[in-house]
Amino acid sequence: MTSMNSVLFISFLLFSVGVAGVLIRRNILIILMCVELMLNAGNLNLVAFARHSGTVAGQAFALLVMGLAAAEVSIGLALVVALYRKKDSVQVDQINLLKG
Amino acid sequence: MDSFLASIGQYLFHFFGLVALAGALALVFARNAINSILGFLTCMLSVAACYLCLSAEFLAVAQLLVYAGGIVVLFLFVVMLVEMTKAREKAVFQKQAPYALVAVLAGAVAITGVFWRTWFAPNATEALTLPAGLGQGLNVATQNAQAVSRGIFASYLLPFEILSVILLVALVGAVILAKTERV
Repeated sequence: MTSMNSVLFISFLLFSVGVAGVLIRRNILIILMCVELMLNAGNLNLVAFARHSGTVAGQAFALLVMGLAAAEVSIGLALVVALYRKKDSVQVDQINLLKG
Repeated sequence: MDSFLASIGQYLFHFFGLVALAGALALVFARNAINSILGFLTCMLSVAACYLCLSAEFLAVAQLLVYAGGIVVLFLFVVMLVEMTKAREKAVFQKQAPYALVAVLAGAVAITGVFWRTWFAPNATEALTLPAGLGQGLNVATQNAQAVSRGIFASYLLPFEILSVILLVALVGAVILAKTERV
């Protein structure tokens, strides 16, 4: 029986790594992967609380979040491909189309 | 054999959690995008193993199918489409990386302090008292798929249907965004 605290702690560490990756990387693909990492950390929390409470609501919502993550990544990668056609780059500090 | 599995069972979660953490660190700090994707894959597989340790079997299989089977392959295709044609990037990290790392570490230390307060308490986490009508007649631990299906198709049918509409919108939107301009 794994203790609740260790599950929460590992998911918190995964979330922190995801936040750090979003903040420090320049490659937009890595940033998208780090967003996925953060969603997974949230999912881990949901599953932990579902086991803790003995109900299945957390697992059902984790499944919904997984579908949402798939939708998000497909839109994000389509945006990356469109931006790459426009700017020839996937570095976020070179994407300044709104600057005029 | 069973007692042996039960005795190592509580350490398996920690092992896979640490592997997931290592994969996440490789994802963030690798210079090559392909190495980052391999770290991402390691992380997702380990998270699926963690779900298994938390007795969420259906979710573990869904994680394997969706992430290892779908999303990683999608990322791999886009990286090969976008990255390989260009010269290597000069700088991997943003200019604000030191400040961002300091901020993230400060937040991590603060939340670790919260964990520290509850870590050694004997009954740090009390059992939640949620209405147990969801899994009625089912054992969530041993009939996982049945219990999850009851959750999705009975109790949370509306979020499920909304998710299906979102997936349809994302499908159409991705096709519209990524197609070339051709009249």
